[in-house]
Amino acid sequence: MSPRTALFLGGLVLALVTALVFLLLPIVALLTAVAPQDLGHQLRSPVVASALIVSLKTNLIANALMLAIGTPAAYLITLRRFPGRSLLITLIELPLVLPPAVAGIALLMTFGAFGLLGPTLAAHGVLLPFSQVAVVLAITFVATPFYLRAAITAFAAVSRDQLDAARDLGASEGIVFARVALPLAADGLRAGWAVAFARGIGEFGATLLFAGSVERITETLPLAVYAQLGVDIDSAVAIGVLLVLISGAVLLIAKLPPLWSPAKSTPSVGGW
Amino acid sequence: MKNVRRLLILAACGCTLIAPASAAAFTVYAASSLKRAFQQITPSPSYSFGGSDVLAFQIESGAAADVFASAAPIYADKLVQKHLCGTPVVFATNTLTLVVPTANPKQLRSATDLAKGGLRLAIGGPNVPLGIYTRSLLGRLHLAAALRGNTVSTYTKASDVTATIALGSADAGFVYTTDWLANRSKLSRIDVAAAAQPPIRYVLCTVTRSGVDVAAASSFARQITSGRGRKILRDNGFGLPPKP
Repeated sequence: MSPRTALFLGGLVLALVTALVFLLLPIVALLTAVAPQDLGHQLRSPVVASALIVSLKTNLIANALMLAIGTPAAYLITLRRFPGRSLLITLIELPLVLPPAVAGIALLMTFGAFGLLGPTLAAHGVLLPFSQVAVVLAITFVATPFYLRAAITAFAAVSRDQLDAARDLGASEGIVFARVALPLAADGLRAGWAVAFARGIGEFGATLLFAGSVERITETLPLAVYAQLGVDIDSAVAIGVLLVLISGAVLLIAKLPPLWSPAKSTPSVGGW
Repeated sequence: MKNVRRLLILAACGCTLIAPASAAAFTVYAASSLKRAFQQITPSPSYSFGGSDVLAFQIESGAAADVFASAAPIYADKLVQKHLCGTPVVFATNTLTLVVPTANPKQLRSATDLAKGGLRLAIGGPNVPLGIYTRSLLGRLHLAAALRGNTVSTYTKASDVTATIALGSADAGFVYTTDWLANRSKLSRIDVAAAAQPPIRYVLCTVTRSGVDVAAASSFARQITSGRGRKILRDNGFGLPPKP
């Protein structure tokens, strides 16, 4: 190896180590800030339990909505080229680049009591502020663009030939989607879901101002961290650790090789 | 654990990382609610505005502050006990106000309307001064039950309470009169019986540390308590203690 190459490789290693230390040190600091026995004690408080339940429930519903609507929507966009397609994709990515605080204000200006749809909703007896529905809306709004973007990329990477082959064998469009495109895009979809989930479970700004911080109803884990910060920093750190563990577990699940989906290279064509 | 707390507080308020850089500058640590009034009285000090509890903690951790202006006497008293602060002087008072969005969708006319129930209320949390004062006020108005009969959302900052009500997420809430004054275009005020008001006092003290600018600190205190200082405080909605 020439000294030049060694120097270059050394530079690359240095960059990777620097990035790893910078990104992981704060997480290590957080995880070691509270002793494990204290952590257990802190997490047994009723505030944490109710916030955990609110967070899990609202994120579950929000993620179900996001997957149920986002997946077919992303598939349609990649199905064929049409005029304005690039514009449409850019529009979908727009909420993605909104700073979180701006997203929260935008959501309020839409669904809030004085927002675009507020009076209409109120006239039909729908009162969103301070309700769990508002939490679900906030999470879905901030998380969905992350999923859509990943889903579009995942479906776009599926080979046209394989979809056409399935059609040639007489598969209906629905079967092509469910049995060919979906399994082939599964890895990308799962990765997109993991990122969207992490963004959603950490949602803070819109939830605080739109859904409020009502104990047992809208107080999610991130809101509980904020509320506890002024009372008991150890308790706030403990909830923070809990959030990191949940997000870490989801990321891990998304990366694990799937046990349920068929082999990638030869999607099963039997049974049509 | 102490170090972790310090790191967290510093992270929560990145401004402190920059402020001590100019160590020689005369620095005033003041409660957020004083921002407008203090800057109108004198723009010359280097200000660090924040929650009184966080500011007190930063001073305990060795922040290079010369003056501490606290929204509640307890935080200054804590520093006095640790010999970190001179004798606190009361320089302003505040009151609580019941506020509603200007449209007042629930047609609230007085604090007793809160007893009807079915409202969405935004108030301070049980552990921050605003929330403690609010609970004390409701108790004196015999309206403590209002916190159970309505949907109550709690916040750690007065600005979050005002924003929530101004945006219409909440039907009503309690904020400092000074907050209402700063958001008059979006919030209407409903008078609360003066006799029920809890005492809300702002104090300032000179920080005790090596290198403190004592001359500048006492000159600053004189400016705040001067006739002009008192007028500006009053214009910003603060009450005033009797002249010494």
